[in-house]
Formats: sequence, C-alpha cells, structure tokens
Amino acid sequence: MTGVLPRACARAALVLFAVAAGVFLLTDVLPGDAVLARTRGGAGAAELARLRAESGMDGPIWERFARWGWSLLHGDAGTSLLSDRPVSTLVGERLPATLTLAACALAVTVPLLLVLSWWAGGLAARSYGGGILAAAAAIPQVVVAAAAVAVFSGLLGWLPGVSLLPIGAPPWHEPALLVLPALSLALPSAAYGAGLLSGSVADVRTLPHVGDAILRGVPRWRIATRHALPLLWAPAIRVVAVIAGGLIAATTVVETVFGYTGLGELLVSSVAARDVPVVQAVALLGAVVVVTGGVLADVLRGVRA
Amino acid sequence: MNDAPGLTVDGIAVHDTAGNVVLPATSLRVDRGEIVAITGPSGCGKSTLLRAILDALPDGLTRAEGAVSWRSETVHSGRPARRWRRHTVGFLGQDPAGALNPAHPVHRLVAEGPGAPGPFAIRSALERLGLDADELWRRRPGQLSGGQAQRVAFARAMAGDPELLILDEPTSALDTGTLGLVVDLLAARRARCATIVVSHDRAFTGRVADRVLRLGGHDRSPGSPGSGSRGGTVSGDAVLSASRLVVGHPGRGPVLEGTSLDLCRGELAVVLGESGGGKTTLLRALAGLHPAASGELRLDGGHLPARLGERTRRQLRAVQLIAQNPADALNPAYRAGTSVARTARVARGLSRSAARAHASELLTAVGLPGADRHFPRELSGGQRQRVAIARALAAGPDVLLADEITSALDEEAVLGVLGLLDDLCGNGLAVLLVTHDRDVAARADRTLRLRGGRLDAGPGNTTDRSEDTVAAHDTIAP
Amino acid sequence: MSRFLAATGVLGAVVALAVLGGHVAPRDPSAVVGPPYSAPGETGLLGTDGLGRDVLSRVLAGGSDLVLVSLLAALAATTIGVAGGLLTGWSDGWTARSLISAADVLLAVPQLLIALVAAVAMPGPAAVVIATVCGGSPLTLRVVRDATRLTRGAGFVEAARCRGERGPVLLTREVLPSLTGLVTADAGMRFVMAIQLASALSLLGFGAQPPEADWALMIRENLPGSGLNAAGVLAPALVLAAVAGAAAATAAHAGRRTNTGRLA
Repeated sequence: MTGVLPRACARAALVLFAVAAGVFLLTDVLPGDAVLARTRGGAGAAELARLRAESGMDGPIWERFARWGWSLLHGDAGTSLLSDRPVSTLVGERLPATLTLAACALAVTVPLLLVLSWWAGGLAARSYGGGILAAAAAIPQVVVAAAAVAVFSGLLGWLPGVSLLPIGAPPWHEPALLVLPALSLALPSAAYGAGLLSGSVADVRTLPHVGDAILRGVPRWRIATRHALPLLWAPAIRVVAVIAGGLIAATTVVETVFGYTGLGELLVSSVAARDVPVVQAVALLGAVVVVTGGVLADVLRGVRA
Repeated sequence: MNDAPGLTVDGIAVHDTAGNVVLPATSLRVDRGEIVAITGPSGCGKSTLLRAILDALPDGLTRAEGAVSWRSETVHSGRPARRWRRHTVGFLGQDPAGALNPAHPVHRLVAEGPGAPGPFAIRSALERLGLDADELWRRRPGQLSGGQAQRVAFARAMAGDPELLILDEPTSALDTGTLGLVVDLLAARRARCATIVVSHDRAFTGRVADRVLRLGGHDRSPGSPGSGSRGGTVSGDAVLSASRLVVGHPGRGPVLEGTSLDLCRGELAVVLGESGGGKTTLLRALAGLHPAASGELRLDGGHLPARLGERTRRQLRAVQLIAQNPADALNPAYRAGTSVARTARVARGLSRSAARAHASELLTAVGLPGADRHFPRELSGGQRQRVAIARALAAGPDVLLADEITSALDEEAVLGVLGLLDDLCGNGLAVLLVTHDRDVAARADRTLRLRGGRLDAGPGNTTDRSEDTVAAHDTIAP
Repeated sequence: MSRFLAATGVLGAVVALAVLGGHVAPRDPSAVVGPPYSAPGETGLLGTDGLGRDVLSRVLAGGSDLVLVSLLAALAATTIGVAGGLLTGWSDGWTARSLISAADVLLAVPQLLIALVAAVAMPGPAAVVIATVCGGSPLTLRVVRDATRLTRGAGFVEAARCRGERGPVLLTREVLPSLTGLVTADAGMRFVMAIQLASALSLLGFGAQPPEADWALMIRENLPGSGLNAAGVLAPALVLAAVAGAAAATAAHAGRRTNTGRLA
C-alpha cells in the first residue's frame, strides 16, 4: 500500500515524457514552420535561413525538443504562429467552455454507464447484451452528433442545432446550448464504458457472497448497492478515466458539429493552419488528462487492495 | 403441530436452454420438526435440486415443470419466491466464508439473515455458536479466522429463527469443531423448523437425519472388482526411473526434495497426496515440461534429459502426459480426429491416411467412436479428457503420465477409462496416475503417497468406513 | 448462434451495398436533379441536398471509399498487432520487451492527433491507415500477447511439445489457430476504429473533399439544411451507424465464441 502514489506518479511522468516526445515528433512532420508562417511567404530562402538560425529553429530535433520542454516546464507554451498571442492565453480562453461541456457529458455518462454495465454484466451468459453494447459503442461520434441535430433541432425544433457561444459569456449562462453537445458526447461514451465495465460487473456478480445473497432472497437493488457496488468503484474509476481521455477526441468532433468554441475546435483549426505551438499544447493537455485519470485509478486500486 | 405440512416439492424438473433434462421430475416432502438429508454422488444434481426449490437456478437452467409449496401454499416463481427465501429460509451454502461480504462488519452480515434479526437475536446467535459477540461485532470477514467466518455465516442462517433451514454440504463446508456445534443446534431446534441437509457424507447424514433421500443412479461401490487382482503383467525392470529429483518453482522453495521412483513395464502406479503437494509438478518434471533442478531420469536404463528440448524423438514419444484440465486440453481450432492424428504423424511418422485411421481406432478404444469430426466445443469435459487420452496414446508411449484424469468424468466414463488403462497395462504400458479418488487408487498395482516432497509407499487399500453407518434409505420418487 | 448469423448477415449486406452501391445508384451522384433541400419524395426517394443533388444516389455511392479504406486499415493494424502479439507473448527477450514499450508509448499519443497530422501531411486514406495502425495495433498486440501467454501453458500446447513440435510450428499450428475467434473479433474492432477515424476526419474537413460523395462529408454538408430535409443527414448517418454497429456486434459474438470454446 505504501509507495503506490510515488510509483504511479513516476510512471505517469515517464509516459508524459514519451507523449511529449511523440507529439513533438509528430508536429515536426507538419509541412511548414514558424518562420515560414510568420513571414507569410514574403521572404527569400536566404532570409528564411537567417531567421531560422536566429530563433534556433535550424538545430537538430532533440535540441529543439529540449528547448520546448524546458520552457514548457516554466509555464511558457510559446506563441501562436497565427495570432502572435501566447498559447497559454489562447488555451485559457477555450478551457472553461470545454471543461463545462465535458463535465456535463460526464454527469450524464457515469450513472448511465453504471446502469448499462449492471444490465450487460448480468446478461453475459445470455449473450446479446455484449453485442448490443458493442454495436452502440461503435456508432461514430459524427453520427450521434448529426442525428441529434437533425432530430431535435431539424425535425422537432426543440433545441438549437448550433451552440455558438456569445463572446465573453461563460457557457453555463446558456444551458440550452449545452444539452445536445453533452448528450451526443455522453451516449456513445456510456455505451463504450459500459462495455469495458461489464466484465468487472459480471465478475463481481459471480462472487460467492453475491450468489449467496441471491439464494438468501436479498432484493436485487440491495444486492446491487450493498454487495456489488462497493467492489466496483476501482474499476469504474478506471473506466471513467479512460472515457475522460476519449472525451478529448470526441469533443473535437462534437464542438465542430455544433460550432462550439472549445479546445477541440482550437486543435482542429490550429492543425489546419499549421499552428504548431498551439497543437502541441492542446495535445499535451489531452494526454495529461488521460494520464492523471490513470494515476488516480491506480492509486485508488492500490489503496483498496 | 408436528404433522403440519412444511415444504412440499411436487415433481419439479430442470431443463437447460437446449431442452436437455438436467434434473428429472423429483418430489419430496419435508415436514416441520423433521431433518431430511439428500445424498447422492457428486454431479447427480443435488445442488440443482436445491436451487430449483429455492427458485434461484443459475442462468441457462429453468424449472420446466412441477411446483413448490410451503405450508400448503404454492410458492410462485419470481418475486414471491424471493420473498419466501428472504423471510422463511435460512441457507448455508458450500462456501460459508466466501458468502460473507468482505466489506461488511459481522453485525451487519448477520442482520441480513432471514427475518431481519435485531441486535439481541444477532448477539445470542453468535454466542450460541461459541463466538464472543462483543469482540467480533465490528470485525470484517478479513479479520476472522476460517472457523469464525463459518460460524458467522451459520449464525446468519439461524439468527432470525427461520422455519426452513437448508444446509448445502456442511461437512465439506465446515471444520469439525463448527460441524459439532451445528449438529447440536440442529437437534436443539428441530421441533421448531423443517431442515434439509445436502451431503455426500453418509456418516454425517446417518447421524443427524430422520430420513435420507438418495438422488441419482447407482453409486460406485468402493473397492470395486478388479482391485489388486490384475497381477501377472508387471515385469520387474524399470522403464522409467527417477532418482533424487529436486524440483522448485521460481520464488518458492523446492516442491520436490529428492523424490525417487521406479516405474515398471505393465504397471499401474497411483500417486496420492494433498493438493498443492507437488503431484502435478512431479508428472511435469518426468515429462520434461518443468525441468528438475537436480536428480537423474532414466528411460529403459539410458539417460533421459530433464529438459524436453534436449530429448530425442524416440524419448519424446516414449513419455506422454495427460494434463488435469480438460478445458484447454484440446486445441479449439481442430477436430478431435485431427488432434489425435497429428500426434501419430509427428511422433511416429505415420502417413496422413494411416494416422487418420489410427486416430479413429484410438477414439473408438476410449469409448468415443465417431468423435473424429467433432470440435472440442461440441464435447463435454469428460469426452475431451478421453480425446486427450487417445492423443497421448497416439504417440505409442511406453509410459503414460496421467494427472487426475478421472476427476472430470462421470461414473461410467471412469470405469471405461480404468478398464482401458488396465488393458494397456496388460500390453506392457506403464501408467503413473495422480489421483485423490480412493476408489481409483484401489485398482492400482501400487500406491505411492507424496508427502513433504518425497514419495512413500502408500497406505494400502482402506475400506470406506462410512459404509456401515448408513441410515434407512428411501429413494426420491421419480 | 442465430444472432451471430444475423449480425454477420447485416454486416455482409451493408458492406456489399457500401462497396457496390455506386453501381446501382438511380442517378448520377454529382448531378443537380432538383431544387436544393427538397423533401423526400418530391425529388427522389430521399430528396436532395444543398446543391440539389439526389441524396439516395449519394448515399449509395458514398460508402465505397470509406469502407474499403477502413478494411485495408483494419487488415494492416490487425496483421501488425497479431505478429507483434505472438512474438511478445511467446518470448520474454529484449526484442519483445522493447516492442511492448513502443506499443505503450504509441497508445499514449492521442490518436486523433496522429490522424489530423497525418491527414495534413498526406492523402486522407493514407492518414486513416496510419492512424489506425498507430492507435490500433498496440491494442491488438496487448490482447494477442495476453492470450498467447495463457495459451503457452495450455494443455494442447504442452501436448504438442511432448510429441516433439518446436517454436515456430507451435506458434503457427497450435497457438494462432486457437486464437482465430479472438483475432477475428479484434479485426472487427479495428475496422470500427478506422470507420470512426475516417468519418471524424471527413467531418473535420481533413478527409474526403467536395464534391466527392462521402457519408461523413454529406453529414457535414447537409447539417445546416437538416430542418428542410433531415434525410440528407439521417440517411448517411444511419448507414454509417449500421456498418460500424454490425461490425462491432459480429466482433463481440466472434470473441464470445472463442471464450466458450476454450472455457466451457
């Protein structure tokens, strides 16, 4: 039990380092660079080479990676190539919107996931639960978001189909804008998470004390809440961590469909514009969420065991 | 009062999803003040009957017909049956310690018993079982000894004074001390409730029960014909011998410490011993799958390398192992005939068609004619075990190492396999059989006991003492 | 079993329709046939899109590239993952350990980022294949490695060793065939992953480009007109969901069949 936290943190640091290196390597592949972007094609080859040498961009990749990592550790994520504004400011502007959306989605996902996995975990022997969950989880995020818009906004007209945030207003001022994006994030995630958790649920349901409780005629809700759920917290948190990590990719699609100005939308537009520092920062932020969730789950499991 | 009808089970039958009969229509009646024991060989459906009565059958089994009534009122399936279990039935399962929720303290565990007993009833139930209620009150199952946990589970079944008490295999579930207390308590409360005890232990049922109901067909007579009567074929020279084998597991101490063994041609030798005592390791060491750290193996007098990879083709072929677990004994991707034929081809160099024909013969010999074309998933555990035996025989071995191969088989199949082994031994095959079944051991030429990492001559063929204490039998009405 | 057949049947039908649909489309998918966003029935069975093109024909024609590229991506990811999984599951050597570390690092990089960057640097289909391989084969590798580890000590493998079979033969003749169901199931999940990636890329504007007929692109194009002709969005969404859902359900059943085969 002792040393769970330090060990988990050390592993997380290693993984984060690897991810940072991976992200840096990947974005390095993007055609064009900062100098090219800043001069907007108005400089000759010699001029470009001089500017690159000046800003240290002609160095070997490991040197540039070290410099980037070093300034990142000091809280400096660089400057956007497109707008010349600090990356941290850009990210800071978008963060609340995405966090709000993710929190709303998780608030729907978690209870739904628990109910679905309880249902599917009990059906394991009778087979169709797993298939249905797998099929539901497989439906592309694009489809869910588009169908939500087409049905609730297009056909029924109940909710707005685009979620354009008023400039400067926090997203929770307009809750109606959040409903469709949050729902379209939550439904596939819940199905996916339930698929992951249903194995643990099935295991817990075959534990001797649960089987014994059934034989003794203990009511079902009581078996679920008193005898099974306490043993499911650790795997459930693990699953929620995985889902939270997946939400980063999923929000990207959902934010684009709904025109919701969050981090995902920032990532897409930055990739399109080759705005490398912004891409690196957003991607790393996503990895931090995933890795932190993993650490949390490891620690909780270690403490329980 | 004593003639008040208690539990009446009227012709209930259990089917599986494919419609196969798992338990034929069975009737029984247990009146108030009566202790009825249900006995029968393992696998005859005792547990299924219990679960069918309680309306708590596992997934895939259904109660096809019949009815259960309690005090002349039908207990309907579903919620009424669940309520009946909750309020009327005290149940103690086969794994009482495992039945305790590890997260709950003792008082809360017992409070969940039938009739929701209050603190006073909980306390007195614990104390009647010789437990210190104050000391254990807030402990969780992890902080209890095995015996204490069993008693807590029994206290839960008894605390609310249930009108029907059901004990599933108490002799294997409880240690002797707890069992004594249970027997006393049963006697003390018998007037107030109806009791069903499921057990395969005739001595126990004879001691506690008013009536004994037998479930299932004929059971195996201990010391069955042929025990020790197969003499004459054992020849004196050792085909496989091991001397001073030392075998360890990484991270643990040695499991075998200087084990020696001589196995003669035509001999059926049995190894008995406690579980975890290294019986399987011994066989795997002989087979070369778990190389011995030291010691020497000899095959037909010549050196036999400890490591499988260093053995010659002829040596590989001569020693064949049949593993214990029939679940993964056969490759799920191949038909039974293919698995057997492959061994004949690789080990003996037979042509494809000769190997096929040989496989067919061997499968017939193990009692599975026509099984060639079946995939493992279409075979039962016992059938797979027999295919595994055929596969080992396909190599044409001189020594057969068999690990608990009868444990997954039913009565008839055990006799069939033992008969087959007898025949093979008659043809000069040496068999080393690991088992915990004394009836199987009774048929061996020689019994060895693995104890403390060494092999001793065995205890000989003991007779089953429980036989002469059997109570009056009636048979359950079919 | 019958449900397995049903799922497989649906999958086969949808995939066949997606690949061959362009040939049975009633009209030219890129021809303007009526007013923009006409309702279903007015012009064509499913109406028209924002440029007045026939939605039904575009749905029929819009799946072949998506499905074929996803099949290719799934094949590549599964092959690489299975090879790596067998290797790392069988041996404990240095190569195996470094392969596993590489897989773990690949898994930690956000997959969508790989896809986006790849899509900027190279054509869309290649990006889908690369991102599926990077994000998918490490998962396959893990699953196959664990299964191989378990199978290494299985009775049938030990029986094969006892009759004298050696490493490569054991892997290809005993271990791999016993994992057929698992590998099939995994390939199905990689296919689903590729479909999800490809549709996300198209929606974000990094995949198929107008005027191509492509399900995800159709969703993107017709979303603003969903109030006028919802079929323009719902029809491609439905077929996309059907392909992915049927593949996943089939995969789930294939996976279960192995389990019961080995444990029951």
